[in-house]
Amino acid sequence: MRKLLAMVIAALAILVFLFSFSFRNEGKKAAEVIIRGSGSTFLQPQLEAWIQGFLKDFKNVSIEYQGVGSGAGQEQFFKRLTDFCGSDPPLSRQTWERYRGKVLQLPIILGAVAVVYNVPELKDRCLKLDGRVLALIYLGRIEYWDDPMMRELNPGLDLPHRRITAVHRSDASGTTQIFTTFLHEAAPDLWPSDLVGKTVNWPVDGKGRGVGGKGNPGVVAALKSTEYSVGYVELEYAYREALPVAAIKNRDGNFVLPSVEAIQEAAKNALPDLPEDPSEDFSSELQAIVYAPGNGSYSITAFSHVFIRTTYSKEKTWVVREFIRWICERGSGYVVEGYVPVPEEIRNIDLRALDLVRSG
Amino acid sequence: MRDVSSRREAERLSLVRRIKDKLFLVILVVLSMAAFLPLFHIVASILYYGGWTLLRGGLSFLVDTPPSPLSSNLGGIGPALVGSAVLVFLTVILGLPLSFMAAVFTVEYPNTLVARVTKLVCRSFTEIPTVLIGVLSYTLVVIPMGRFSALAGAVALAIVMVPYSYTYMEESLASIPRTYREAAYSLGLTRPRAVFSVFTRIARRGILTGVLIGLAKAAGETAPLLFTIGGLRHAYFNGPDHPVGAIPLLIYEFALTPYRVYREVAWGAALVLIAIYLVIFVVLRRTVREVRM
Amino acid sequence: MRFPSREDRMFFYMLLPFAGVVFIVFVLLFEVLIQNSVPVLLREGLKFLTSSAWRPSEVSPDQEFYGILSPLVGTLYSSLIALILALPTSIALAIFINDYTPPQLRDHVTGLVDLMAGLPTVLYGLWGAFVLAPILKTYIMTPLSLYLGFVPVFGCRPITGFTVFTAGTVLSVMILPFMTSMIRESLASIPRTYREAVYSLGATRYEASRMLVSMTKPAVMAATLLGFGRAAGETIAVSMTIGNSFGLPLCMFEPSYTISSLIANQFANAGFYHYMTSALYAAGLFLLATGLLLNSAGVYMLVKWRRTYRR
Repeated sequence: MRKLLAMVIAALAILVFLFSFSFRNEGKKAAEVIIRGSGSTFLQPQLEAWIQGFLKDFKNVSIEYQGVGSGAGQEQFFKRLTDFCGSDPPLSRQTWERYRGKVLQLPIILGAVAVVYNVPELKDRCLKLDGRVLALIYLGRIEYWDDPMMRELNPGLDLPHRRITAVHRSDASGTTQIFTTFLHEAAPDLWPSDLVGKTVNWPVDGKGRGVGGKGNPGVVAALKSTEYSVGYVELEYAYREALPVAAIKNRDGNFVLPSVEAIQEAAKNALPDLPEDPSEDFSSELQAIVYAPGNGSYSITAFSHVFIRTTYSKEKTWVVREFIRWICERGSGYVVEGYVPVPEEIRNIDLRALDLVRSG
Repeated sequence: MRDVSSRREAERLSLVRRIKDKLFLVILVVLSMAAFLPLFHIVASILYYGGWTLLRGGLSFLVDTPPSPLSSNLGGIGPALVGSAVLVFLTVILGLPLSFMAAVFTVEYPNTLVARVTKLVCRSFTEIPTVLIGVLSYTLVVIPMGRFSALAGAVALAIVMVPYSYTYMEESLASIPRTYREAAYSLGLTRPRAVFSVFTRIARRGILTGVLIGLAKAAGETAPLLFTIGGLRHAYFNGPDHPVGAIPLLIYEFALTPYRVYREVAWGAALVLIAIYLVIFVVLRRTVREVRM
Repeated sequence: MRFPSREDRMFFYMLLPFAGVVFIVFVLLFEVLIQNSVPVLLREGLKFLTSSAWRPSEVSPDQEFYGILSPLVGTLYSSLIALILALPTSIALAIFINDYTPPQLRDHVTGLVDLMAGLPTVLYGLWGAFVLAPILKTYIMTPLSLYLGFVPVFGCRPITGFTVFTAGTVLSVMILPFMTSMIRESLASIPRTYREAVYSLGATRYEASRMLVSMTKPAVMAATLLGFGRAAGETIAVSMTIGNSFGLPLCMFEPSYTISSLIANQFANAGFYHYMTSALYAAGLFLLATGLLLNSAGVYMLVKWRRTYRR
């Protein structure tokens, strides 16, 4: 009996000790201020790199980010489980209207989707593709690599008479949304708007020539093990896996490979169609940057965003502001391979947010 | 003549039977070996891959915070280790009294409706997919509280743990011989006294087993934590009503990323997790012969 | 109810809330699942179970549609593979431990089985994803599809190592110790006299084992049902190895989903859409109901069987 009592008391003591952490946390001075964010898995490596850099410069603060997916990130952000949200797509118009004036959307980094292929005959020679041909491939209407339309785009290449396997994502993903938006923008008569989204019922699957892969690694694995296949992945994976990347015909008719300059040029050319203020509606932003005009723009490009609130508690306001400022001013020194920093003009939009965040 | 042929027949038959018997033995041994092969393979893989990680990271692997995805620096699993310890503690605090009192109740008042229902419910609870318990805790604890927390995780883990520890405690309390019970009452002890000072002592092995099973579950389960604890990487601990990390969750999350350093950390964490599990298991085996999980 | 003393009554009321909590949690689980699955069930009705379309839509909630046929098939398929692999192995192991292992070793061997049973599932997943999957792909799945491709279940080349077959194999490893201990216990509980009677008839060990196993048939059935329930409910190890993609796989070298891995993968993101959260709760409800049904059938069989020998 006495032993039991001692154990109960010990347990209570530990419990009190554990809870003392949470009080210290909410208490007045010195203790760490913690900012939590969650969302896009695409953004995670870049944000982690920024967070670690930021934490080196600032003591007594901490930032946590969890890659749970853009959708989950938004849900947790609006349920106030987190302080900021990493999201690939901007807010939809309805959501933006519901939270109008309370949320700021900051285009924080650029990413691109690369069209990759596995055709042994081509070795290192670069394939040229355009939106119409890609749409026809994913519709299942172009069946062979040596289709007349393919030969017209690639006059110098010796294309084999082999069936094309079209690889796509099997899970809901922003990559799919960007890619299908491009197909729709570039070939609206072929690729209808109800085939645009995070998950799509791929027509090519119905012809038995489509293959799904889970996540970017799944697509890469499927592509590598299936000869004569074509697929789309985040640029970073194309680099890391040394996959051949196709040049894509842009709005001005040039075939462009995804390079830092080409991606930034697309962002700059999208600027006229973007709002100037981060509190405004960005919902049509993807249509502006995908298949953007400009001589050297890469067509399958998109922003990733950080959403913040307009009001925070006093300590958090400071940290959020400093973090955003740090990303804009010093973040470009910490950019991870495969990501592209936003051009100066976009950074100015983000810096404008600093004035809009108030404590209260 | 007939005699000879029937004897031959019998010999042939017995030969067939002996061959069958030998064949059976061979199949039995092969299948039994095959049954254990995965266990050794799992342990060996974890020792091999996790061993490299731990060798590279050294002791600081247990203390440091996790690396950034593309860094060459290994970092560590400190926050997750702290988080797991907190979770185990909170889970036992929540689950132990619950399962013990419920066990006492069903043994002492077996003919009441509540006792019968409790017994039935606990039996079926071991079969409930643990991810649903995570969903339950998300709906009932995380959303009303407004944030992920160690508490929400502990609630989920306690719900997973209770049926297991309850079963052991109930069985050991119920198996106290009638004579002992009568002896206790004949001393003039009231029921609460008899339960707490006599029966509990007699059944202490079973009770300890229940606690240890709870520890093992709380340390090793992943699915109940998916939507409840939130995870923590750059800080160690901010209180039980704040998000924490946990080793199993860290393994699950890191293993599914494409980054090499994260996978290395996942294997290292797996080695730590299996070590913790083995310690609990060895203690368990010392207290009780058979362990059912 | 009558109590012998006042203290006894107080004790009863003191303990009651603890036992009550267990019951309340159980009810709450059902309540939460049912309440949240109403929207999707009202909207789609039976089609929720019979359709294989999983169609979230950002455009408008009207275009959303969720059918869980393909994860349902994936769950059954992977659990079935697990059972086919685990059942003979667990029967063999149970016989081996019971009849062929020297008594002084028996304890250690059952210890190993128990150790396997309690190993954290994420470790099975980690091993399955990074060690087992490549091995299975190179040495089993690819050759089978090449040489036995005319059999429908082998009829496709595995593209990644993450397939229904891989998940089934990992599951079989996980339910094997659980089934083994159940079958072994029932074998051990057959009275000695039966065993001796069989041997005294001059039966070989093979024949004796066959008879003993046939005597424990209800217990083996129960182990099968409970093992199936466990396999169907497992989340982490499956979601790490099954490939998580929609489709109605006939060939077992294709990736798929199970209901629990569907919840694990999509629950966090479901808030994006109008009906998806509800669809996932409904899928969970369905999983829970089937699991409990299987479990009660198994437990019922076991209890009935135990009564025949424990009298």
